[in-house]
Amino acid sequence: MPDTAIAIKRVSALADIAVQGRFGADKGAPGVTFSVRHPASIVTVIARKDKSEALSKAVETAYRFPLPGVGESAGKNGLAFHWCGADQYFAIAEGKAEAELYRELKTRFEGLASCSDQSHGRVIIRVVGPKARALLSKGTPIDLHASAFGPGKSAMTQMAHVGVHLIQTGEDAFELSVFRGFSENFWEWLTEQAEEYGYQVL
Amino acid sequence: MAGFRLAKGGLIDRSTTLDFTFDGKSFSGHPGDTLASALIANGVHLMGRSFKYHRPRGVIAAGAAEPNALVELRDGGRKEANTRATVIELYDGLKARSQNRWPSLNFDIGAINSLAASVFVAGFYYKTFMWPKSFWEKIYEPLIRRAAGLGSATHEADPDKYEKSYGHCDLLVIGSGPAGLSAALTAGRSGARVLLIDEGSRLGGSLLNENEEIGGVAGFDWAQAAIAELASLANVTLMPRTTVFGAYDGNVFGALERVNDHVLAPSPFEPRQRYWKIMAKRAVLAAGAEERPIVFGGNDVPGVMLASAMRTFANRYATASGKSVVVFTNNDSGYRTARDLKAKGVHVEVIIDSRKDAAAEASGIPVLKGRSVSDATAGKIVSGVELSDHTRIACDTVAMSGGWSPVVNLLCHKGAKPVWNDKLQAFLPSNGDAQLVAAGAANGAMLLSEALNEGAEKAAKAVGDLGFTAKVDVPKCRDEAYKIAPLWWVKESHGKAFVDYQNDVTPKDLPLAAREGYSSIELAKRYTTAGMATDQGKLGNVNAIAILAEAAGKSIAEIGTTTFRPFYTPVAFAAFAGPFTGHHFMPTRKTPLHDWAEELGAVFVETGLWLRSSWFPLPTESGWLDPVIREVNAARQKVGICDVSTLGKIDVQGPDAAEFLNRLYCNGFAQLDVGKARYGLMLREDGIVMDDGTTSRLAADHFFMTTTTANAAKIMTHMEFCHQALWPELDVQYVSVSEQWAQMAVAGPKARPTLQKIVDDVVLDDITFPYLAAKEISILGGITARLFRISFSGEHAYELSVPADYGNLVARALMQAGEEFGITPYGVEALSVMRVEKGHVAGGELNGTTTADDLGLGRMMSTKKDYIGRMMAGREGLTAKDRQVVVGIRPVDKADRIRAGSHLLKKDDKPSLAGSQGYITAVAYSPTLGYWLGLALCANGRQRHGEIVKVFDGIRNIHMYAEICDPMHYDKENKKLHA
Repeated sequence: MPDTAIAIKRVSALADIAVQGRFGADKGAPGVTFSVRHPASIVTVIARKDKSEALSKAVETAYRFPLPGVGESAGKNGLAFHWCGADQYFAIAEGKAEAELYRELKTRFEGLASCSDQSHGRVIIRVVGPKARALLSKGTPIDLHASAFGPGKSAMTQMAHVGVHLIQTGEDAFELSVFRGFSENFWEWLTEQAEEYGYQVL
Repeated sequence: MAGFRLAKGGLIDRSTTLDFTFDGKSFSGHPGDTLASALIANGVHLMGRSFKYHRPRGVIAAGAAEPNALVELRDGGRKEANTRATVIELYDGLKARSQNRWPSLNFDIGAINSLAASVFVAGFYYKTFMWPKSFWEKIYEPLIRRAAGLGSATHEADPDKYEKSYGHCDLLVIGSGPAGLSAALTAGRSGARVLLIDEGSRLGGSLLNENEEIGGVAGFDWAQAAIAELASLANVTLMPRTTVFGAYDGNVFGALERVNDHVLAPSPFEPRQRYWKIMAKRAVLAAGAEERPIVFGGNDVPGVMLASAMRTFANRYATASGKSVVVFTNNDSGYRTARDLKAKGVHVEVIIDSRKDAAAEASGIPVLKGRSVSDATAGKIVSGVELSDHTRIACDTVAMSGGWSPVVNLLCHKGAKPVWNDKLQAFLPSNGDAQLVAAGAANGAMLLSEALNEGAEKAAKAVGDLGFTAKVDVPKCRDEAYKIAPLWWVKESHGKAFVDYQNDVTPKDLPLAAREGYSSIELAKRYTTAGMATDQGKLGNVNAIAILAEAAGKSIAEIGTTTFRPFYTPVAFAAFAGPFTGHHFMPTRKTPLHDWAEELGAVFVETGLWLRSSWFPLPTESGWLDPVIREVNAARQKVGICDVSTLGKIDVQGPDAAEFLNRLYCNGFAQLDVGKARYGLMLREDGIVMDDGTTSRLAADHFFMTTTTANAAKIMTHMEFCHQALWPELDVQYVSVSEQWAQMAVAGPKARPTLQKIVDDVVLDDITFPYLAAKEISILGGITARLFRISFSGEHAYELSVPADYGNLVARALMQAGEEFGITPYGVEALSVMRVEKGHVAGGELNGTTTADDLGLGRMMSTKKDYIGRMMAGREGLTAKDRQVVVGIRPVDKADRIRAGSHLLKKDDKPSLAGSQGYITAVAYSPTLGYWLGLALCANGRQRHGEIVKVFDGIRNIHMYAEICDPMHYDKENKKLHA
C-alpha cells in the first residue's frame, strides 16, 4: 500500500507555459484569445469492421445525436464526437473523472468500436476572435472560409510541422488539438503568429 | 545635366520630406517616391557599375525588370544586396550603397576591363582558364567571382521575422492594371471570392503611370474608383506589395508579400515579409507587358532609358529624367513619351523613328522617319546621339522603345512555351490551361479597350465555370494605336552596345555563340550568359533571340524562348524559412517526465524531435562519464529510474488483433496469454529487420504495442499499409497512444520494494508479477497505471506507464519511495551502457542491413506461420554462412579504449580496410566489468568467439587488439533478471 500521501491532480503540459495576460501589439481589443481546455476527456473511437451503422445507432440511442459525417462534428450536453479519419472519431467531454469517459464508451460500444483513452495524450487549445481565421491560415492549408469550413466542421491537418486536429466551434471560434509532447513548441509558434493582432491568454 | 523634380503633378506627397543617403551622401525625396525616382530628382543618374566591364550605369526601367540600378539596401543584419532602386519605396532614414565598384562609383578601377573588351567575349572564361585544371577551383574562379559580381551578402543574422500563410480564392487576379481591375470588378460583383494581387506599392498598374481616359474620366481616377469599390466588397481581398513569383501544379501560386519592406524597421510584432501559398480555383494573369530596349552603341549610358520608364518617372513621380530628350523608337508607343514629356514642359528635341511609314501623332515634335540612332555619345552621361547616317544631335537623355513583350512568365512555369506573333513582334501566351488564362497586355491586347474587355470577359468565364453569374460591363475608353516594325540591333553602331545589361552581353556574343555551335537558345543562354542573373533577361531576352535567329539563319519562332521558371523576381531565403528558424527549425517534443528530469539536473539530448535525459550529473561531477558510471552502478546494485516515455506506443484492438500482430511480427503472438508481455521482432518485406519492441496482451482483443523511439511513426504507417492494402479483411483497429502514457523503467535489485511502496492493493512477487507480466494496476491511491515486468538493463526491472498528466507526480513519488534504497535517476547513456553489457541489440545493429539471424535472433523466426518478410528472408544472400553477425568485442589490453565504427581485421593484416571482417556498432565503458567493451558485426562471427582480431580506427589512424566474444558480456545466465 502506498505510504506516500500525494494530492492527485492532473497537470497540463501547458501549466507553466500558457500564462494569463495580454500580449503582442496593442490595437484595441485583442485579435484572438487563447485558452487551454484542461482537464478534458478525449477518447479515440474507431468503428469495428462493418459496424459503422450499428455504432451510429448506438451513439444516437445513448446520446441523442448520430455520429457525424466525414469532416464534421456532432454533440450534445457537453459530449461531442469529431470525425478524424475513416470510421474514426474523437469523443471529447469535460468534467469527467479520470478515465470515466473511456470506460463509459468502451462499455457502451462493446463489440461495435475500439476505444482508446487519449485524454492525457493531446492538448486542446481554444482560439477565439476576429483574427482567429487569419491566424490559423498561417499554419493550415485548409480553406477556413465560411463557404468551405464553418462551425461543426472537423479536420485533421498539419500546422508548423505538427499534426493538428482542428475543429470550428463557432463563428470565430476554433479548437486545435495536438500531441502533448509538441504542445509547448506549438504554443510558442501559435502565439508568436498572433502577436501582430494582439492576443489574450485566459 | 541634372535631373529635376517637376513643379507639379505626380503621385508624391510634397508636404512631407523623407531624408535618405546614397553612398553616404544625403538626399531627400517624398512619400510615393522610389529610391530611383528620388535619386533622379536629385540629379543622380549614375547608380551602379556593370557586371563585367564595370561600365557606369543608371536606371533603364521603372519597375521590377530593372537590370542596372541594383543597390545594397540597409545595414547590418538587415543588409540586402542587389535590390532594384526602381521598386524600393522611399522611407525616412533609408540607406543605400552602390555595388561592384572600387574604390568609388565615380572612379572604378575595374573599368579597365573595358579596354580589354575584345578578349572578354562569350566563352572567354571557358576558353582561357582551362589549364592547369586544378587552378580553376582554387585560383581562377575565386578571382573571377571577386572581379565580376553584384552586391555582397551580410554574415549577420537577420533580426526580422518572416511568416508563411495560405490563401484561397475562386479567382486570383495577378496585376491591377486595366485588365486586372476589370477582371477583379467583374468577378467581385458576381460574389466570387477574389484575390487581387499586385507587386506595386499601390494598386493601379499602368494606370498610375499613363495618361488614359476611361468612362469619361482620367484613367487614374477610374482606377481609384474601381479600387474603392473592390475594397468595399467583403468577398474581395486586395494585396498590394505582393509578387506572385511562381505558378505550380494544381493552380497553386507562390507569392511574397512585402509587409514591412517600405519602413526602416518593422514593429517587433510584425513580420518583414510573408510567404504565401495560394490555392486558386481559377486565375487571370494580367501582368501587362515589358518594354524592350533597342541595341545600339552606348545604349547603357546613364541617361539612356526605356521610353515608358521616362514617361512613368514624369507622370507618376513628377521627375524629369533630363532637360533635352531624343526619343528613339520602332513603334507608336515612343510617341506617347514624347507627348507626355512635352506636356510636362520637358524639351523633346526629336523623335527618331526607324519606320519610314510611321504615322503616330507627334504633337508638333519633329520626327525623323526611317532613321536610327547608332550611338549615344557620352562620358559618364549622355551628351548627344549619332544617327546611322552620321547626323549628330545634342541631347542629355535618350528614350528608347523597341516594342513590347507580354509578361508571360507565370503562364509558362508549368511548361507551356509562348508563341511568336509577327504582327506584334512579340511572344504571346499559348492557349494554356483553363485554370490560368492571360488577359490584357500580358495576352498581347495592346489597346486599352481590348485590355478592359479581355479582363472582364476572362474573369466572367472563369467564375461562370464555378457557378457564379458575372456581367461583362466595360466602360468606354480612349485608345492609343499600337503599330510596330522590327528593329533589334543598329549594326552601324561604333560604341559598345548591350543586349543584356546585367551580364554585359553584346550583340557580337550571340553570332559568336551560333558560329561555335551554340545556336540553340538554351545553349546560347549558358554560353553567353544572356538572360541570366537577377533579372533573368526580362528586358533583353527577345532582342537576344532575334539577333541569334539572324545569325543562325532561322526565324525567331524557330529559335523560341528559353524556359521560364520560378522565381519571377528574386525571393529572400528568409521568406522560405519563414518562422521555422532557430529552435523552431524542427518542432521540439518533450516527454511528460521532462520537468521531473529537469528538476534533477538532467542533461538533455536531441533524439529525433524528442529531448531525452542523457545523464544526471551531480554538482560535484564533471563530464559525462562519471555520472554515467554512477548511474549504471546504482541500477545494477540498488535501483534506478529512467524515462522511457519516448517509445512508440500503439493500442491494437479488435477480434483480429492477435492475428494482425501474428502477421506483422516474425515471432508468434497469437498464443500470447492475457496479462503477458512478449518481445517481438518485425521484418521488412525484404527480410531485413525493421523494428523490435515489447507488446503486451491486456485483453483477448486488446494489445499494447511498443516500438523503438525512432521508428514509432514508421511502424504506424507500416501497420496502416499492411491492414489497408494487404489484409483489409482483418477486423482490427489501432491508434497511436504514444503521448497518453508517461513511461518509466524502474530497474535494479531494489526495484520491487520501491514500486511496492506506491502500488495499491497488490503484493508484488514472482507469483502475482512474474517475469513478463503485464497488468493494469492502481497506484498512489487511485491512479490507473500499467505495470510491465520487462528489462532492457538485464536487472530485475519493470516499466510503469501512467497517464501523462500524472507523469512528473508519479516519478517524484517513486524518487521518494526509493530514497531509502538509494534510488538514482539514469539517462539514455547509462541505459545504453547496460544494453551493450547485456548484448541487447538496438539502433546500431538494427541498421537496415541485418537479418534476424545476424542479430542472433534467428530462432525467433517462426516456421509455423506466415509473416511479413518470411519469403525474402530465405534468400540465398540473407542466409549465407559468411554474413556479418553480432558478436561481442573486448580489448586484449583492458586499458585500451575501443571506438565505435572501427573495423575488425585479421590479427596479422596490415591496417587497411581491404580485408575488413566487419565493424564495431556500439561501445561502452562498462563500470560493471571495468573496461571498454562493445558489440560488432563480424563475418562468420559466431564461429570466431575467442579469436584475437586487429581493431582499426581509420579516422584516428590507430589500431589495437581485441577478442571476439559472446555479445552478452555480463550475467550470461540472466540470474539478475530473475532475482
